[in-house]
Amino acid sequence: MSRLVLTMLALMLSSSVAFADTIKIGVVGPFSGPAALQGRNFQAGIDAWLAVNGNTIDDDTIEIVYRDLPAADPSQSAALTQELIVSEGVQYLGGYYYTPDALAAAPILEEGNVPMVVFNAATSALVNASPFVVRTSFTTWQTSTPMAAVARERGIDKIITVVSDYGPGVDAENAFVTGFTAAGGQIVESLRMPMNTNDFSPIMQRIKDSGAEAVFAFLPAGPATLGFVQAYVENGLKDAGVQLLAPGDLAQEPDLAALGDNALGLLTTFHYAVSHDSPENAAFVKAATTAIGNAEQLSFPAVGAYDGMYVISKMIEATGGKQDAATAVEAVKGLSWISPRGPVSINPENRHITQNIYLREVAFEDGEYINKEIQTFENQGDPGWKAP
Amino acid sequence: MSTVSKARPVVQDMIAVLILAGIAVVLFFLFPTNLALLTRIIAMMLLVLSLDLVTGYSGVATLGHATVFGAGAYAAGIFAAKFGVTDPLLMLAIGALAGAIAGALSSLVILRGHGLSQLVLSIAVVSLAHEAANKLSQWTGGSDGLSGILPSPLFGVFRFDLFGRTAFIMAVVLLLAVFVGLRIIVRSPFGMLCRGIKQDPVRVRAMGAPVYATLVKMYAIAGAVAGLGGALSAIATKVVGLDSLSFTTSAEALVMLVLGGAGRLFGAMLGTLAFVWFEDRVSAINPFHWLTIVGVLLVVVVLFAPKGLVGAIEAIWQRLRRARP
Amino acid sequence: MPTILSIAADALAYGMVLFVISIGLSVTMGLMKVVNLAHGAFAMIGGYIASYVTQQMGLPFGVAILAAVLGTVLIAIPLERFLYRRIYGARDLTQVLMTIGITFVIIGVANFVMGPSLKTIALPSELQAPVDLGFRTIAAHKLFAVAVGVVVAGALWFIIERTPFGVRLRASVDDAAMAGALGVKTKWVYAVSFALAIGLAALGGVVGAQLLPIEPYYAMHYMVTFLVVVSVGGAGSITGALVAALLLGAVQTTGRYLMPEYGEFFFYLAVIAIVCVFPNGLMGRFK
Repeated sequence: MSRLVLTMLALMLSSSVAFADTIKIGVVGPFSGPAALQGRNFQAGIDAWLAVNGNTIDDDTIEIVYRDLPAADPSQSAALTQELIVSEGVQYLGGYYYTPDALAAAPILEEGNVPMVVFNAATSALVNASPFVVRTSFTTWQTSTPMAAVARERGIDKIITVVSDYGPGVDAENAFVTGFTAAGGQIVESLRMPMNTNDFSPIMQRIKDSGAEAVFAFLPAGPATLGFVQAYVENGLKDAGVQLLAPGDLAQEPDLAALGDNALGLLTTFHYAVSHDSPENAAFVKAATTAIGNAEQLSFPAVGAYDGMYVISKMIEATGGKQDAATAVEAVKGLSWISPRGPVSINPENRHITQNIYLREVAFEDGEYINKEIQTFENQGDPGWKAP
Repeated sequence: MSTVSKARPVVQDMIAVLILAGIAVVLFFLFPTNLALLTRIIAMMLLVLSLDLVTGYSGVATLGHATVFGAGAYAAGIFAAKFGVTDPLLMLAIGALAGAIAGALSSLVILRGHGLSQLVLSIAVVSLAHEAANKLSQWTGGSDGLSGILPSPLFGVFRFDLFGRTAFIMAVVLLLAVFVGLRIIVRSPFGMLCRGIKQDPVRVRAMGAPVYATLVKMYAIAGAVAGLGGALSAIATKVVGLDSLSFTTSAEALVMLVLGGAGRLFGAMLGTLAFVWFEDRVSAINPFHWLTIVGVLLVVVVLFAPKGLVGAIEAIWQRLRRARP
Repeated sequence: MPTILSIAADALAYGMVLFVISIGLSVTMGLMKVVNLAHGAFAMIGGYIASYVTQQMGLPFGVAILAAVLGTVLIAIPLERFLYRRIYGARDLTQVLMTIGITFVIIGVANFVMGPSLKTIALPSELQAPVDLGFRTIAAHKLFAVAVGVVVAGALWFIIERTPFGVRLRASVDDAAMAGALGVKTKWVYAVSFALAIGLAALGGVVGAQLLPIEPYYAMHYMVTFLVVVSVGGAGSITGALVAALLLGAVQTTGRYLMPEYGEFFFYLAVIAIVCVFPNGLMGRFK
């Protein structure tokens, strides 16, 4: 036991000896657990960025320190973040898949003099938790709002909304209902389903009975989407022409193969599709595929991480490698660049990413299922954000 | 003679408290950068100690004990975030009270079952509480978590700092106080009665003792202890999430208790420390595949230390003593 | 009226899936007195094998079912021999610790070997086609699940109540020492029952995969559901598990239709109500 303690002590001491030119970035994400796929995508995005840009900025070498946070657990998030800052000596924090985890880490940023770049957590108010939070992913409001316009353009008047009953689901419902009613549409019903619903047939029966022309749905990316889309088809809604509309979480690329033909024609709005046609994305997909090892597993968190690394690199350039969170955050306000997802910029007011939102249709091309972009909503901010 | 037998446990308690305080001081200086983790462990210890009271001492099987932990965390958090009650000691008191109420209420349901059905009732209770907290998102923040908890400095002087020193010291003092209180309770006639109920409820009832009322009372006490843990977690983390009210947390607490050794206060504390610390270290070394190693640890413990870590340590101790007469 | 029939059909299909997947656990918990929290993990292994056999090897569904059941049992045999045998007759809490540990290991290995993404099992076209029930159409694979449930219930009842093996099993359960003295090889009986339970888990994993998709955390996600069905029914009772699965399936399906936002409340309130009235489960044969 004492030898164990000594080894640990030695490890701690050796890790706290600062090399003048090594800059550590702490990344907290779900690397195991139910969302392990998304954590793996964080890592793929980071590795892709390092492969393309190298791991040095000016004279400084970047080192990534990973910490696993398998589920939403604020107290563990706070402990891991604190450990990264005070024990590992990280100068930047990245990652954070779930909102409560990012919220728990936010209060210590200012005292720790560390900026946080959120790679995923998508609740609008998160950026208000600390002036040192920058976000390179999306918000559910941002991705859901354009769908209201899509529905109206396609001549849909009556819609039922069906969402998973938790924060992001409620955000999606609010965003869509606000946009759709403002555009003169009618919401015939709004249903919320418990998170662990597995048989969606009764929900489909409700959709049928509601007389809606289309259904707007939100479910988190992952297993539940399979049962939902399958029930939608098997209960005859697809054949009856009840269009399924959703933010892109419902059709993330790794799930598409499992959804199969059932998903064909599904319309989603989202900030990123792996099939996006641009030289930047081609380079990104190539590098990220090498990093993740299996092309089918590549998904949207990877691009959040990739752009997050870009933002952190700009912060490092601006501070010359010194630990200065205020300068670093100030330097990236208003920053604009061409991301794999298209042109993006950091809104100086709320430090959230402004980006194109694409309407995509699930299609089968060249032997694989893809989200095919068919319409672009340019320069979308976050409609869900309110100044604190 | 009688004075000696009464005095001995008090002396033992003093020694135990001194040892625990000593360990805390050593940890404080040995791992000054891991205090948030240690505070999290102490909050979990309070939950596992509480579980020990109902499971280890009173024989109530439960996989839903996070109900009382979450009740304390949310009560303290809501009072701080929505009503401006930010004094940490007041928040602890609110947590304990909420935990006690939640404990007494949930026991009314859980005590209706035995063995397996009791487990299922406890799962139903924690699931209902989890759903309710998710639904009442104006109060609890739902799945986004309850944020905006800003505890004021302890005694108006000691700020809750980045290193977590204040939170850790407060947690240690709290743990020691609870430990002493629980030692007294489990030795009291009331505690003995609970153990009797665990061994043979029918016989205790035949002796004329109120089984049901006794267990409800124990549940309320256990609820207060876990509620303190929840409130401590809310103060130290400044955010309360739905995980504090989940089946997963309940199951983890049970695993920690059995790992350490049920029916012993030291078992509850050692099990928590060993499990969380091990998990933290292993997951830092390999963030991707650590779960397998934790699983192997649990299997190994069952195979080689079926009475938990404390049981194993005692067995080794006994053997050493026998070896040197 | 068609709506009520339609809900009833969904409830029946869902309940039967719950039954098929939980009945193996009822055997381990009721007859072998092992709280096997790793039950879902074995169902998951079955699902993975079937997915691999149909998707990667392109073999038919029937072969996949067979491979899933046999493969999972093969994997489980050394586990029974070296791990489970040590916890027969141990305290509940010890069994919980051991089986949770086994679950963790299986999840970790599955995540490593199969990757963290969703896996599906390719169904033959006959099972994918919709079937017209008159008042509505329903997916054929749901009817298949109902049929499998009926066959499993009948076969299990026959094995336990009407065969020499069933007699030995019940004797070993009631009094292992006495059964042993009378020449029953209790170790062997236990090993066979364990294999039976695991085979049922794998079968359930495959048949239920359309509703409960196969992914590494399957083993944890549905642990509670299986445990609830078995104890509401009464551990060890086949009829009990059947009635419980159908009843809970009906409550959940109706709740999801009428008030989806309170679906879970209905389910757990029903569980509390049933368990309070029948503390040993609907048809508990043992305490």
